[in-house]
Amino acid sequence: MNFDIGYMVDIFPRILEYLPIVLYMGTLSFILAVIVGLVFAVIINAKVPVLYHLLKVIISYFRGVPTLIQIFIFYFGLPQLIPSLSSMQAITAVIIALSIKNAAYLSEVFRSAFLAVDKGQFEACEAVNMTKWQGLRTVILPQVFRVAIPATGNYYIMMIKETSLAFTIGVVDMLARAKLESAVTYKFLEAYLAVGLIYWAITVVLTFLQSKLEHYMERPYLKEATKP
Amino acid sequence: MIKIQNLHKSYGNTAILKGIEVEVNDGEVLAIIGPSGSGKSTLLRCLNFLEKAEKGIIEIDGAKVNVEQYTKADVVHLRSKTGMVFQNYNLFKNKTALHNISEPLRLTKKMPKKQAEQAAYDLLAEVGLKGKELNYPVALSGGQQQRVGIARALALNPYVVLFDEPTSSLDPELVEEVLNVMKDVMKQGRTMIVVTHEMEFAKEVADRVIFMADGYIVEQGTPEEVFNNPQNERTKRFLKNYLTLHAKR
Repeated sequence: MNFDIGYMVDIFPRILEYLPIVLYMGTLSFILAVIVGLVFAVIINAKVPVLYHLLKVIISYFRGVPTLIQIFIFYFGLPQLIPSLSSMQAITAVIIALSIKNAAYLSEVFRSAFLAVDKGQFEACEAVNMTKWQGLRTVILPQVFRVAIPATGNYYIMMIKETSLAFTIGVVDMLARAKLESAVTYKFLEAYLAVGLIYWAITVVLTFLQSKLEHYMERPYLKEATKP
Repeated sequence: MIKIQNLHKSYGNTAILKGIEVEVNDGEVLAIIGPSGSGKSTLLRCLNFLEKAEKGIIEIDGAKVNVEQYTKADVVHLRSKTGMVFQNYNLFKNKTALHNISEPLRLTKKMPKKQAEQAAYDLLAEVGLKGKELNYPVALSGGQQQRVGIARALALNPYVVLFDEPTSSLDPELVEEVLNVMKDVMKQGRTMIVVTHEMEFAKEVADRVIFMADGYIVEQGTPEEVFNNPQNERTKRFLKNYLTLHAKR
């Protein structure tokens, strides 16, 4: 059998050197996507004139165009219009493209999570004279997040994996490293399988953490639950 | 006192309140009865601006708001005079019974955390929920949730407590415990406006009863006057239907 398991084990540490950059791109894009997605959701739910229609188009665009093409447009295309962007680093382009694209998706998640909160909760906040922001912070958002966390967690996992597209515009990440390794040794299966297994492992770990978080958020809604 | 003048409210083309005039004295318990869709809940909800009326003047204990021109501060001032008890309790689902009461105190009365929680402990004991402080709403029965709801409304020490059909969502055997807590509130001399289907309760507790139908106040008077000797045809029909229904039960 033509499979060099020893080689595969050997290159793991070399590929893992690039794990931080993958987590960095994925996590930073995710955080930005959550913030932007929340803003989008609030604008859409409040039907802010003009912005609302503009956002509908933007969201439709980012949902409709493949991620790789969006990254190419940001990195190779935009500097044509705005010359100062030509000094943009490839990694920046990836983070911008991924965060806006996923913000578009997440805005839908957050929007429906907002709608899932009972109208009476908003009224109760008003009736005790909380300000809009006090009500959001202490009562509404915790309930929104509870509904939104399962789907949002999936987007985080997807985004970590999507960062592997960065390799196509020259970012040296785990995939790039594996490609360089295999180009020398021609042991493609071992190299790519190694990257694949690492991504898989990341996903398993994140899924576990997500289930812990979901369980924590669910506490107030379980019959037997009381606060310690 | 509470003074409502010429209050109008409609949803689209459907007029719900057609010029309501009500006065309520300090410490008075006012019961509002009437058929579904008569506008009684809407009237209550207009008083603390959960619904925005189109026309009229609302005055509660000196906080006077013309609903056609008002500022945010006017609404805050008006709401500070009111506490609300909802038909569906509307406890904050992500907060314990204790925090349902202490958080509003902390946020809107700027009370220190410890003091707010002590006040919440005391109020929960008053409504018979000692030991349930750390339960989340989901772990409380409907009657218990509503008692927390009443405690939450009282915590803010409002001039008037607005009860919006407080027992309508409850299983029959849980109604009693909530009504008893309401009687305690009454004994403290607090002004209360109660929208209710509990005629017996209205008869027993209210100082004055208002009968509403089709957006108007059709009849009002003491419980004896309204229940025993109704003058208006609409009131007579309503009470008759109510009595036959309950006789069947």
